[in-house]
Amino acid sequence: MGASPDRRVKIQVKNLTKRFGDLLVLNNISFDVADGEFISIVGPTGCGKTTFLNTLTKLIPATEGSILIDGKEADPKTHNLAFVFQEPTCLPWRTVRDNVAFGMEVKGFPKDKLEERLEYILKLVGLSDCANLYPNQISASMVQRVAVARAFAVEPDLLLMDEPYGQLDVKLRYYLEDELIRLWETLKATVIFVTHNIEEAVYVAERILVLSNKPTTIKAEVHVDLPRPRSLVDPKFIEIRKKVTELIRWW
Amino acid sequence: MPYEEVKVKQPIIFKILAILSLLTFFGVWEFIVDAGIVPSTMLAAPSKVAILFVKKLTQANPDGATLGAHAWMSAKEAVTAYVLAIIVGVPLGLFMGWFKVVRGLARPIFEMIRPIPPIAWIPLCIFWFGIGIWGKVYIIWIAGIVPFTINSWVGVNMTDPALIQMARTYGATDWQIFTKICIPSALPMIFGALQISLAYCWTNLVGAELLAADKGLGFLIEMGRRLAMPEMVVLGMVCVGIGGALIGIVVDVLERRLLAGIRR
Repeated sequence: MGASPDRRVKIQVKNLTKRFGDLLVLNNISFDVADGEFISIVGPTGCGKTTFLNTLTKLIPATEGSILIDGKEADPKTHNLAFVFQEPTCLPWRTVRDNVAFGMEVKGFPKDKLEERLEYILKLVGLSDCANLYPNQISASMVQRVAVARAFAVEPDLLLMDEPYGQLDVKLRYYLEDELIRLWETLKATVIFVTHNIEEAVYVAERILVLSNKPTTIKAEVHVDLPRPRSLVDPKFIEIRKKVTELIRWW
Repeated sequence: MPYEEVKVKQPIIFKILAILSLLTFFGVWEFIVDAGIVPSTMLAAPSKVAILFVKKLTQANPDGATLGAHAWMSAKEAVTAYVLAIIVGVPLGLFMGWFKVVRGLARPIFEMIRPIPPIAWIPLCIFWFGIGIWGKVYIIWIAGIVPFTINSWVGVNMTDPALIQMARTYGATDWQIFTKICIPSALPMIFGALQISLAYCWTNLVGAELLAADKGLGFLIEMGRRLAMPEMVVLGMVCVGIGGALIGIVVDVLERRLLAGIRR
């Protein structure tokens, strides 16, 4: 599965395989992601999406295969990886500002650069007003925006998102998806966005990878070449959505 | 969006009830001693204790020190031991919670010493330190360190794994995760230990002084026994009770100030 030929390849996943004992979970997955590309990954429930992501970020070791970023083996300590989790991961003892700064702190950003970038990101995400509040003083959607801001702040080589808006209501989700797209266009990150919501995937992604049931492989690849902002009722949008739905249904 | 605390109004009746309960308690106590239901050689009436209290404020006799000197001695012992328990117990617990090597090394010893009642150390302490302050400090320290170690350890263990995983994806080192995630997340548990340990310290202080001391509230109680003065025994007990309650209030206020960000 290749990215468009005219774009520079950023991430290469080669023959990624994961076994838990005898259980084969990830079966020889290979694909490329172009620099600054926005990819969605969809698949049936329990198809090993989380294992896939955890292997990608090296939280768990792969049994076989490799993940290369700019041609070098991926490593959270040298590459800027960022991960937005489904569950809230704000540190309750830190203010919104200090939460957004957390990733940069860990990465050892110099102080002046950190401050400058922090102000920029807070403003971009619209969190400046509540920068000094604690996570339990803001809403669930704001908490998730803090996590997204923290991820973009480290200028990630690869940003992974695991159903970041899965627990929010539909209206808010559209709003946050638009915001995410705006951030991505402004900050030019490479994004892998995992979701089980097909409409969401078609709405945000340039390319959708459809996973199969276990043992997981990439079953199909769908390019979404619709202009932005996208309309959910555009016939072309609906056509792609149906296509992806069919792909997931007929395993 | 400023955050406002929801204020719950306590009905005045509960305050009245509290006062009423204390009044009844002392009233009944005074009555049973004055009426001779309990002989005055076995229990002192509150009025007698109060008189002795006033007398002991200035007089050193018959036990050798004024009440203030006794209380000061006890406070010094307890606070010294308490501070030492924090200094040793908290880091020990934190490291045991996060670093497997420390846990492996420290846990067996800790688990073996823990069930020994602190006052069982008294004879050894007399051999080692005599009856000076350090023997008692040691015994109180042994008592006070346990809650700090256990709570710090459990606090680190209870850190939300999602937060640790989040830090890992940003490439945080083990040490960074320990200092930036685990320690702050253990703080509420550690503060819980401040209260528990203080109670342990104060209780064991009396135990230590009963057997080996020449000054202190526990010693006052012991002298009351030797001199067959029940009012002196009760006076010592009351002072220990009031002292413990006072320190409890101080810790409570401190905790609320320091944990403002976590427990809103």
